[in-house]
Amino acid sequence: MIRGLFSLYSVRYVVALVYMLQNTEYQAGPYLRWYWRTTNFSKVTYRRQLDRTRPARLLLLTLRLGMLLQIAAGLLLLALWYWRDLAGGWQFGLALLLSYPIVWAHVVTIPLALGRWLVIAPRHRRQIKRSEKIFAQHPGIRLAIVGSYGKTSMKELLLTVLSEGKKVVATPANKNVAISHARFAKTLQGDEDIVLIEYGESAPGDIARFARKTHPTHAVITGVAPAHLDQYKTVERAARDIFTIADFVSADKVYVNAESLLAQPYLKKHPQLQPYSRQSVLGWRIGSVQVDFDGIQFTMTKGKQRLALYSALMGEHQAGPLALAAALAAEFGLTPEQISAGIAKTAPFEHRMQPYQLSGAWVIDDTYNGNIEGIRAGTALLKALPAKRKIYVTPGLVDQGRQNQEVHQEMGRLIAASQPNQVVLMHNSTTPSIIDGLKAGGYSQEIIVEDDPLGFYTNLHAFIAAGDVVMMQNDWTDNYA
Amino acid sequence: MQKPLIAVIFGSRSTEHDISVLTAIGSVIKPLQLSKKFRVLPVYIAKDGQWYAGEKFADIRLYQQGNLQEVLAKTPPLSLQFKQGLYLLEQGRFSKTEHHIDVVFPATHGTHGEDGELMAICEMAGVPYVGCDVEASVIAMDKVLAKQVARDHGLSTVKDVAFSKLDYEADPAGWQKRINTQLRYPLFIKPAHLGSSIGISRITNKKELANAIEVALHYDTKALAEEGVENLIEVTLPIMGNTEITPALLEEPMLKSEDFFDFETKYMQGSAGKGKGGAKSDQTGAQGYSRIPAELPKGLYEVAESLGVSIYRALGCSGLARVDMLVDSQARQVYFNEVNPLPGSLYAHNWAKAGISNVKLVTTLVELAISRHAEKQTTQTSFSTNYLQQF
Repeated sequence: MIRGLFSLYSVRYVVALVYMLQNTEYQAGPYLRWYWRTTNFSKVTYRRQLDRTRPARLLLLTLRLGMLLQIAAGLLLLALWYWRDLAGGWQFGLALLLSYPIVWAHVVTIPLALGRWLVIAPRHRRQIKRSEKIFAQHPGIRLAIVGSYGKTSMKELLLTVLSEGKKVVATPANKNVAISHARFAKTLQGDEDIVLIEYGESAPGDIARFARKTHPTHAVITGVAPAHLDQYKTVERAARDIFTIADFVSADKVYVNAESLLAQPYLKKHPQLQPYSRQSVLGWRIGSVQVDFDGIQFTMTKGKQRLALYSALMGEHQAGPLALAAALAAEFGLTPEQISAGIAKTAPFEHRMQPYQLSGAWVIDDTYNGNIEGIRAGTALLKALPAKRKIYVTPGLVDQGRQNQEVHQEMGRLIAASQPNQVVLMHNSTTPSIIDGLKAGGYSQEIIVEDDPLGFYTNLHAFIAAGDVVMMQNDWTDNYA
Repeated sequence: MQKPLIAVIFGSRSTEHDISVLTAIGSVIKPLQLSKKFRVLPVYIAKDGQWYAGEKFADIRLYQQGNLQEVLAKTPPLSLQFKQGLYLLEQGRFSKTEHHIDVVFPATHGTHGEDGELMAICEMAGVPYVGCDVEASVIAMDKVLAKQVARDHGLSTVKDVAFSKLDYEADPAGWQKRINTQLRYPLFIKPAHLGSSIGISRITNKKELANAIEVALHYDTKALAEEGVENLIEVTLPIMGNTEITPALLEEPMLKSEDFFDFETKYMQGSAGKGKGGAKSDQTGAQGYSRIPAELPKGLYEVAESLGVSIYRALGCSGLARVDMLVDSQARQVYFNEVNPLPGSLYAHNWAKAGISNVKLVTTLVELAISRHAEKQTTQTSFSTNYLQQF
C-alpha cells in the first residue's frame, strides 16, 4: 500500500504511464481501466520495457513538462501563501503538489482521444472507402477467414498449401481489422489467383462491415468460442455475428468447422453450408490419423483419389483444418503432388502448438492460444502424448466477459480430464475458477499457484527434465491481472 | 512458519574457486530459490579464506566486472558460532546480523571445501549438510586412497605408482625408474587431491616424465603415475542417495582417445557462455563435449553402471557424487578412475536427462542431508562416566 503510493512519485512513474499507453495501443479506455486497477506503478513494466518510439518519446516529454509545471504552480502557491499570505494558498498548493501524478495520468488521454477522433478516424475512413473498390474489382478468389479462434493459423495454412500451385496473398500476421484490410488492398497487384483476408471481429456488426468492404467470394468459419465477450456479451451474439458472413457469400462456399460445438446449430439450420472436420470435408473421407511429437499424418480418399499427407503441425485437431486446405487446393486445381508438398511444408507457427525440447523434456508452446476451444485441443493433445510426467501451465483466458467464471471452470475440468501430474496456474483473478473446475473434474494431483509468471517461464528449464511433457497455454501481457 | 535457511557455501582457497562460483550460482542457489521451499543465504569464501554472506554474492556479474575486491572491502566478513547449530555472524559498523543456518549446501570444489574440511565444520556444529560426509570426502579427494579402498573391495583399477612430494624429492631418479619399470606408457601423471583435471599430464615417453611429475607436485603434496587404458572410452556416472542409490546416466566425453578431460576442455570450450548445467542441446552435455547416455559396446553400460554404484558404496558416499571410469572397449574391461564428491554444476544437465530437474535435484539433496543428519542423531556420541571424579 505504502510502496504503491510512493510509486506515484517515483522517477519511473512517467515511463510506466507511457508503457501502459503503448501496450493498450494508445486507447484511452483500456489504458484507464489498467491505470485504476494498478496498485503499484513500479511493477507495471514487468515483462517488457518501454519501446521508445517517436510517439512514446513525445508523450514522455509532454507528461514530464506538464508535471513540472504543476509542481512549479504548487510551489508558487505555497510561496505566495507563506510570504504574501495568499488565502487558500497552502491548501491549493499542496493539492497541486500531491495530485500531479494522478492529474497528468488522466490529462494525457485528452489529446489522444481528440487525435483519434479528429485526425485518425477520418483518415482511416477514407482509406477503407478506397480499398472497397480494389477488392470489388479484384478478379481472383477472395477468401474470408472468420471465427473466434484459429484464424491466423488457418490463413497461414491455406497460404502455404495453395501457394504450391497458385499465386496467393494474405493479410499480414494478425492484422485483421478494416484499416489493416485497407492497407493490404493497396499492396494487391490484381493478378493474384487467391486473396486470403482474415477478419478480426471484436464487436457486433464487425463481420458485416468487413464483408461489405472486402467482397469475399468464399469464407472459412474456423469456429465459435467465447471471445470478446466484453463487447458481444454472450457467445450466441458472437456466433450470430460470425455467421453473418453467409449473407455475403454463397452458402456452398462457406466452409464451417463442424468440430466447433457452438457452430453446429448453424450447420443444422443451414444444410447448404459446407462442414469440415477430422472425419470428412467436401466429399473426402479422412482416416489413419496419427499424432506424435513429429507432427500428424493422415489419409484422404474421395472415389479413386487417395492422398497420404504429413504435416509437422501437432495435435489431432489439426486434421480438420489441414484436410480443408487440401480439399480446397484440389477444388482450386492443384495436383495431388502439389497438395502433398504443400501440406508437408506446413509447420507449427510461433507460440501455437509449437513443440521444442528443453532440458530433455518436450515443451508445447501454445501461449498464443486464448480461447476455450484451443484449451480443449491442447488438453486433448496432452492426454494423448506419452510422457513420464505431464505438466500443464496456464494463466487462464482473458476477455471472457460475464462468462468468465463459467469458462474457467470448464477450463479446469478440461485440464483435469487430461490427467497432468502437475498443474501450474499463474496467479490472477481467474485462478479460483480454474481450481474449482479442477476439483469438479476430480483432479487430485499437484496444483502450483505461481506468483511470478515471468520467473517461472524464464527458469522453466530448471523445473523440467527428460520424460516430461509441458503444455503451456496462453500467456497474459502486463495489462491483464 | 519460516522456511528453512540454506547456506550455500562456495569459492574458497582452491584452484577450482571459479568453478565453484559457477556451480553455486547456476546450479544450486537459483534452483533452491525457484523451489520456494527455502530461504537461501549465499556464503562466499574469498581466495584469502575470508567468509562473506549476502544476496550480492549470488550475482555472477560481481565476479566478472573486476570490482570484487572493492565489494569485499566494504562487506563485513562472517564469523562462525556453534550454538546448538551453526550461526553465521555478520558484524557491521552499526549492526550485527545473526544467521541461524538450518542446512549447509557446500558448493566448493577442491581444497578447503570439497576435501572434507567444510563437512568437518558442519559435523562439529551439528548442522545437516548436503553431499558426502567427512570420511567419504577425504577418501574420494585422495586418488591414491580411493584406489586403495576400491582394490580392497575387489573393484578393478588401473595400475599405478603413488608417491609423496617429500619422498619424490628425496630420490627423483629412483621414483622415475620405479615408474618406468612398473608401468607401461602412455602414462597419466596426476596430483592426488585436485579435481577439474588441474595439473594432470598425459605423457607418452620417459623424457616427459620428470616435467609431468614436477607439474603435478607443483599443485599437490602427493601424486600418482597411472597407466593409460587402451581403446579408451572415458565415462562418468553421477549418483545420488544415502542408503537407496539412484544413478543418473553414464556420460561419455566426445574426445579423441589421445585427449583427456583437462580443465580447458571441461570449462573453457564447448558451448561457451551458456554456463554449466543448463544444457539445451540433446546431443551433448553441459559444456557441449559429452554424450548422454554413453554409447558403450553391448553389455558394458550395465558393467560400468554397476561398478560406479559399487564404488559409491565402497567409499561410503552419501548425498551426491560422481564416479569416473575408464573403459577398454576391446578388452571389455571397466576400471575405476576417481570419485568426485561434489561434481561441478552437480552434473545437473545429466540429471535432467535422467528425468530429474535441477529444482528436484537440489531439493532432494537437501532432503537427503536432513535425513542423514536425523539418522546420525540416533547414534550415541557421549555417555556419562565418573572417570574424571576418580582421576
